[in-house]
Amino acid sequence: MSTESKSAGQIYKRVDEIRGFVRDQFDFLRQDRLAMLGVIVVAGFVFLGLFGPMLAPHDPIEEDMRGEDGSILRLSEPSGEAVLGTTAFGKDVLSQFLAGARPTFIVGLFGGIGTGAIGFLVGLVSGYYGGWVDEVLMRLTDLTFSLPFMPMALLLLTFVTPSVWLMTAIIAGFLWKMPARVVRSEVLSVRERTFVKSARASGASDLRTMLYHVGPNVLPIGFLYTAYGIAWAIAAQASLAFLGFGDPTMTSWGRMLRQVFESGNMRVAWWWVVPPALGIAAITTSVFLIGRAYEEVINPEIQTDQ
Amino acid sequence: MSQFQRFLAKRLAISLVLTLVAVSVIFVVLRLLPGSPFEALVTAGNLSPSQVEEIRALYGLDQPMWKQYVNYMTSLLTFQFGYSILRSQPVWDVLEPRLINTLILLVPALVTTAILSSSLGMYVGWNRGSKLEKLSIITTTFLRSTPVFITGIFFIIVFAYNLELVPAFGMRSVTASPEGYIDTYLSLDFAHHYILPFTIAVLYYSGDFLLLARNGVVEKKGSEFLKLHRAKGLTEMQQLARAGRNSMLPILTYFALRLGMIFQGLILLEVVFGWPGIGRELVLAIQQQDYPLVQAAVFIMALAVIIANLAADVLYAYFDPTVSTSGGGAA
Repeated sequence: MSTESKSAGQIYKRVDEIRGFVRDQFDFLRQDRLAMLGVIVVAGFVFLGLFGPMLAPHDPIEEDMRGEDGSILRLSEPSGEAVLGTTAFGKDVLSQFLAGARPTFIVGLFGGIGTGAIGFLVGLVSGYYGGWVDEVLMRLTDLTFSLPFMPMALLLLTFVTPSVWLMTAIIAGFLWKMPARVVRSEVLSVRERTFVKSARASGASDLRTMLYHVGPNVLPIGFLYTAYGIAWAIAAQASLAFLGFGDPTMTSWGRMLRQVFESGNMRVAWWWVVPPALGIAAITTSVFLIGRAYEEVINPEIQTDQ
Repeated sequence: MSQFQRFLAKRLAISLVLTLVAVSVIFVVLRLLPGSPFEALVTAGNLSPSQVEEIRALYGLDQPMWKQYVNYMTSLLTFQFGYSILRSQPVWDVLEPRLINTLILLVPALVTTAILSSSLGMYVGWNRGSKLEKLSIITTTFLRSTPVFITGIFFIIVFAYNLELVPAFGMRSVTASPEGYIDTYLSLDFAHHYILPFTIAVLYYSGDFLLLARNGVVEKKGSEFLKLHRAKGLTEMQQLARAGRNSMLPILTYFALRLGMIFQGLILLEVVFGWPGIGRELVLAIQQQDYPLVQAAVFIMALAVIIANLAADVLYAYFDPTVSTSGGGAA
């Protein structure tokens, strides 16, 4: 009985902590109006990513839009029938836009998290252990730096059928180098601080010191680069889809732009171009704006003045 | 050997090994590709099996894998790129003009933006909290985080389609057939096609330089040496010049890195504008499975990045006394 109420108390405390943390973040972001705007855009994007395909009024690929006389509506301007107009193939632009958010969302989220997680771990281990471990991991980082991302991704995607998850893996497999280097150099300075040394002196194991004492202190920069990773992954996904190397089974914003570009209708069909182009531009910019707001706080050298 | 020389030797050795590994990775990836360009020729019914064998032998594709690997390594590293399968022309003859087209577009753009954006970045960093600072940061954040083809599409719609100021596609008019480089690049027609992609490249690269310069000056602003300069009675501008000079190193090394990446071209920009550069050529070659062309293009791109990385590290170690040259590479 007493143990139960105790654990319940702990849970409440924990929930309070989390709530306090979320409120702190929210208060912090509210001070920066640009970052707040970014949060709103990101929230809208997450909503589209989760529910967009269900909201689409028509099937984005199968269903042809027909006018009152039953003929297929090709390249028709926005109207009551199709709120955002139709494509050259007679498909509903609004439905494609709604459905196309999902692959962008999946690749962005998981590509970003993968980038952040791999980079954080490599940087942490490399910086903490030093010596040959550091040497091996950093040369591996150099290697991924020297293999140009876009060309290599295009090459890899030609001999396997592109799928959303494969693209996520390729993107994370190439982008982890960025956080790895930054986290490593952070770890190098944290490692020398007194509390780390005292942890070691009081008998903490290497693994424990690394995870409990060094890790939390470089976590903010890990999160920052995860955010940037999300923006990079979205940009990369859109670019690959635009070049025709995207998942052929799914409508995505990049693929919509490819179709309008390839079909040569960019000059007339602005209603076909603007939704996906604006969608991609808005989400990548928003993620970066939020990241920047945090960077001002995380980077100790920038915050000294003022 | 001095410490710096030892550092240089180590860094050189690393770069060499990296080149070898990168080239091997390219080989592995390319040989994993299913199908060969010859299949298309055979199924088209133009060639008999014996003719196919003849061509395969010509390209060395009938030899055992290890032999192909050795041949491939020796020929790439001696810059013998072989023949393009689909264009039946030496690979270098295909790539050289494309590479030059890319460099003509991007090198001036990079230099322009490095000078303009860094200066602006130093200025707004000095006047921290100003309207101009906010505005420049949000603009460049938008420009550098948005994929370059989207910025390109927006600009094409506005300036090419609606205002009809510039052409939207290609490097020259269809009717123009210039001879030689001078004729190609020093013409009004070329400038007319050049201005839009050039502008977008400048804007696309601007964000990183602006932020690097701004952060550098913001960091230096509170430092002791500037207090001394202020006490000496230097004007604001003179102080800024000194703070700026001291934050040049990250900008310089970043410039070196970017310069290396330019050899990849801006693939998306080139595709959107139909600019006949190396990036667009690579995409075409990949789609057509033209192995020799692809491997040579990727090799040039990787090599440029490796050399630029080396240059950046050496620059840093040479100019920044706080970087320990005895440690492994650039921290």
